[in-house]
Amino acid sequence: MASSVEGSTQNRVLYRLTWLALVLSLGHHLDHLIRGNAVGWPVTDEVNAFTYSLVVYPIIATGLVLYHTGRVGPGFWALVSGGGAVFVAAVHFGPAAVEPPELIVDHYDRPILGWLVFGWLVAFVTVLAVTCLYETRLWAQQRRAGRAARPAAGAGNTR
Amino acid sequence: MTATSPPPGAGQPAVRPRPGSAVTTGGVGGAVVVVGARVGLWLGVQLGLAGLLILTGVADTAGQALDEAAGWWMVYGALVDLGTLGVIIWLLGRDGRSYRGLLGPPTTAWQLALGAAGVLAATVPAVVFSGELTSAIYGQDAIAPMFAVVDLPPWASVLSVLVVPLVAELAEPVAYLGVVLPRLERRLGRSWLAAAIVVALWAAEHALYPLLTSPGGGLDWRFAAYRVGSVLPFLAAWTAAYYALGRRLLPIMVARWVLNAGTAAALALGLIA
Repeated sequence: MASSVEGSTQNRVLYRLTWLALVLSLGHHLDHLIRGNAVGWPVTDEVNAFTYSLVVYPIIATGLVLYHTGRVGPGFWALVSGGGAVFVAAVHFGPAAVEPPELIVDHYDRPILGWLVFGWLVAFVTVLAVTCLYETRLWAQQRRAGRAARPAAGAGNTR
Repeated sequence: MTATSPPPGAGQPAVRPRPGSAVTTGGVGGAVVVVGARVGLWLGVQLGLAGLLILTGVADTAGQALDEAAGWWMVYGALVDLGTLGVIIWLLGRDGRSYRGLLGPPTTAWQLALGAAGVLAATVPAVVFSGELTSAIYGQDAIAPMFAVVDLPPWASVLSVLVVPLVAELAEPVAYLGVVLPRLERRLGRSWLAAAIVVALWAAEHALYPLLTSPGGGLDWRFAAYRVGSVLPFLAAWTAAYYALGRRLLPIMVARWVLNAGTAAALALGLIA
């Protein structure tokens, strides 16, 4: 009973983290659109990192459906969150960043706005990384629970 | 592996502090004592050292004495952490609990390694934010003032690399995440609110060290505000990681040790100049 409650709490936390990451992602894309200095198709003709990043929305939508129907587990979300964190960090923070922080902070007329959206980006990548940690822990717990359940089931079948 | 497969927590030790149990976490008074002790120790050690410098004639004014003392903050920080450890041990003895119990559930070697790597990865955005803030306030490629003021002889540098970060990890995250956070959670009944208060208190403490004076005399409040702002994303990331890792403190302590000892080593070797 206690484990079932814990499982449902963990599911709820996973959903909330996914929605939080989605909201942060939408806000970050909105910042791209407002700045207009780092956008690609479908806003312009160029296919670039902005265009590739939009693939995250169908992935999240598909993932939510598959998770709800029990076809994927926390491992799927760990890969999505971790991959997202690496992609966004490489584009904005990496040594070969195509859109370094200066392009965001210095592009708004009011510096406070630049810092606000930069803080949003920092929070976005941090949430993705921490969410990946959480989902990886759940994934590992499920694998351990699965391994522990298998021998017991096997022993039952031999009777 | 599905969302409907056996509950992930099956067979795992119950690690969350039980909101109704004062025995498992202690009262909020303990949290006040720990935070108050750290604040008092930071102020006491710096003002005491500054007073000593004036008495021995090394410094002529209070401002000069504080700036001289600030050069040693990466060493005398150990006194604050040792004092914090003393308070934690006193609280544990009073409540009949163990230090190990503050570190969360058992952590295997691979959990420790993977968790510490994950915490370091989650810290990257905070490092970038802090660097941008330093550039915005002190100029492009400027060194953060708390590192620029460090001026240690070789033996003290060795101490700041090998001993101080280790003592800091045994005291600082344990104080805030192992002692203060569970007590506030129990008192407030809302984890997010308790976590927000802990992050705010933890960040505010950083305004107290090192105490620097401004060119016009008096304390450098701009630096104090910068210090709080630059450290805030680190503390938020570590507190979030603490929850994400099932309240395991060891991976956070290891990741913080890598960062702090690495920074101290870079300063000692002149790599940050």
